Amino acid sequence: MAAVTVFALCSGVWLLRDGSGAHAPPQPSAAQARAGLDGRAGERPAVPALPPAPPDRIRIPAIRVNAPLTGLGLTKTGSLDVPPAADENLAGWYEAGTTPGEPGTAIVAGHVDNADGPAVFYDLGALARGSTIEVDRRDGGVAVFTVDAVEVYAAKDFPDEKVYGAARRPELRVITCGGGYSRGTGYQGNVVVFAHLTGSR
Amino acid sequence: MRRTARPLTGIALAVAATALAAAPAYGASAGGLEVSPASVVPGGQVTVRTAACGDGGSATGDASAVGAGSFSLAPDAHGQDATGRFRVPPSAQPGTYEITATCGGSGRRTTGDLVVTLTSMRGQVHPRGSVKTGVGGALGPDPVQTAAGVAALAVAAAGGTWLLHRRARGDRI
Repeated sequence: MAAVTVFALCSGVWLLRDGSGAHAPPQPSAAQARAGLDGRAGERPAVPALPPAPPDRIRIPAIRVNAPLTGLGLTKTGSLDVPPAADENLAGWYEAGTTPGEPGTAIVAGHVDNADGPAVFYDLGALARGSTIEVDRRDGGVAVFTVDAVEVYAAKDFPDEKVYGAARRPELRVITCGGGYSRGTGYQGNVVVFAHLTGSR
Repeated sequence: MRRTARPLTGIALAVAATALAAAPAYGASAGGLEVSPASVVPGGQVTVRTAACGDGGSATGDASAVGAGSFSLAPDAHGQDATGRFRVPPSAQPGTYEITATCGGSGRRTTGDLVVTLTSMRGQVHPRGSVKTGVGGALGPDPVQTAAGVAALAVAAAGGTWLLHRRARGDRI
């Protein structure tokens, strides 16, 4: 009986502890939403654009992100593909699109979590306006972006043009899952970070 | 013969131009001048191709509208199309420019549109819809797992209580 009791105690603690440290990923507050009706219209480039060069790595110091980037394509339905989920510290960029730093909208996506727990962009929703995002480029340069807004959009009514549409100045989008979670259908949408090029080195 | 051919060519060109205007996203049209990519940023390289000059035909291209001057089109490896390349000057302004090619032998003229944009469009297809970047693994434990844990702890508590009771009785004796 003592053995059964000890076993039940241990397994009970183990079952409850596994995941007790887990929480829903942070979601952006309304204060981080885009200011004005559409900030993009009429905005001038802050710094000269960079020539096209594929990116190698993304760093977001405010949320301790430092991850390599892999190339992403599109799925059969036309949505952006995602990096392999098994590697929790791997993000991807849309390689048929704009490279980060050249004029246009460059797109980076990564997982908020995988089956084992939090992944590369778990804290993306906690990012604040004005934060810095750095992208290492294969030409040896670093493109430095500043966050303009952090938004969350429902998958049902995703604003494609706003998120993926062309821009005149060099812009960056960083995307992960968010917007509530249901066991049946998974995450309800995406957290999208809007940033534009403000420096390079 | 030449006199009747000229107006006919003019009509053909007008029709081709209308077709191009109707489909500005694509530089190619049958018998016309295929411009690839149809949309380019200043400083970008453009390849043009035409089948209008016949087998083994070469042509002279004119991209002076966009400030790139003239260039030559040579028969490609298959000998059916004439192809040539030019570079859009980095100073080129956004807009739509007509690129022409004149066949070396027949003098036949074909045109295609080149769109210069400040935004890189390199045949870009934008993604659509949301991105599947999570499975919920960071969220709280499975309800089934939680229930199992609570049940196990209940068993442990019952077992512990029973053991304590037994020990207490034993002590009394």
